[in-house]
Amino acid sequence: MLPFFLYLITGVVTGFHVYALLSFSVYTGAINPLELVSLLGSFCLLIAAYLSLFRPPAAGRLALIACLLMWCFYGPAIANLVRARL
Amino acid sequence: MILPYLAIALLILVTAYSAVVSFRRAPEAAATSWILPDGARRSARIFVGIATVVIVIGMVAWLSISARNASRRSLRFLIPEGYSGWVRVEFEISGAPALTSEGGQTVVKIPPTGRLMTSSPEQYGWARDSYYFYSSPGLSSSSAGLRLILDSGPERLIWGKINGEAAGSQGIRKYEEFFVGTEQLYKDQANSVKAPDTDKHPARTTP
Repeated sequence: MLPFFLYLITGVVTGFHVYALLSFSVYTGAINPLELVSLLGSFCLLIAAYLSLFRPPAAGRLALIACLLMWCFYGPAIANLVRARL
Repeated sequence: MILPYLAIALLILVTAYSAVVSFRRAPEAAATSWILPDGARRSARIFVGIATVVIVIGMVAWLSISARNASRRSLRFLIPEGYSGWVRVEFEISGAPALTSEGGQTVVKIPPTGRLMTSSPEQYGWARDSYYFYSSPGLSSSSAGLRLILDSGPERLIWGKINGEAAGSQGIRKYEEFFVGTEQLYKDQANSVKAPDTDKHPARTTP
């Protein structure tokens, strides 16, 4: 059950975070396409959570792809954050 | 503010975990552990399935109830013919007349001053409001002497609608404001003159 909860909680937390950022975009008028990619990754992670109950290796591969999708957004975001703080 | 950091921490953890699960080559006789399990038990799958169905049904019910509560009765604003400038409606003013209802809409008849006070409470939620010019003060809202004012499109005359609260000598007052006039007039006055109250705190905006 560990992979199920791990994938599920991560999918929900990252999905909610990116959804909150997207809702702010309604006011600014500029939607970052990488946020949509990340949201797709969160959705894939939720699917991986349920798949992990039946086929853990396949779920692991799907979760890895989902994580790569999410890093498309979080990677540049972290880089920008670090650059701004330095 | 903890959400982004939590999301990144979990993402790092899941990336590492899923990479290990994806690329590991387990020996055939190796026993499964709780960290790298070989699937879940049947009872666990049934429990997760039932819990998911219950959560989905609960979310659908909650969303439908919230959507029903978010709707409000639409307002019909009656504005004096030829009026141009800011219109302001102040709610919950004791001693002021209450708003009336006609044909499922709440009628808001604006006097020639452009400022209306009412004892009725402000309603929140989504609804399509309508705007009309009236030519004679004695006409009722259902009379034929009303002329529709567009609030969208190239011919629109309604701008900058805003709801908020203003703190004054009589306490906090809820109000609704919008501008009546052409786009050029609206832009001109926005550039030159500030809105009637500068200490307003917008609560919601409806197009």
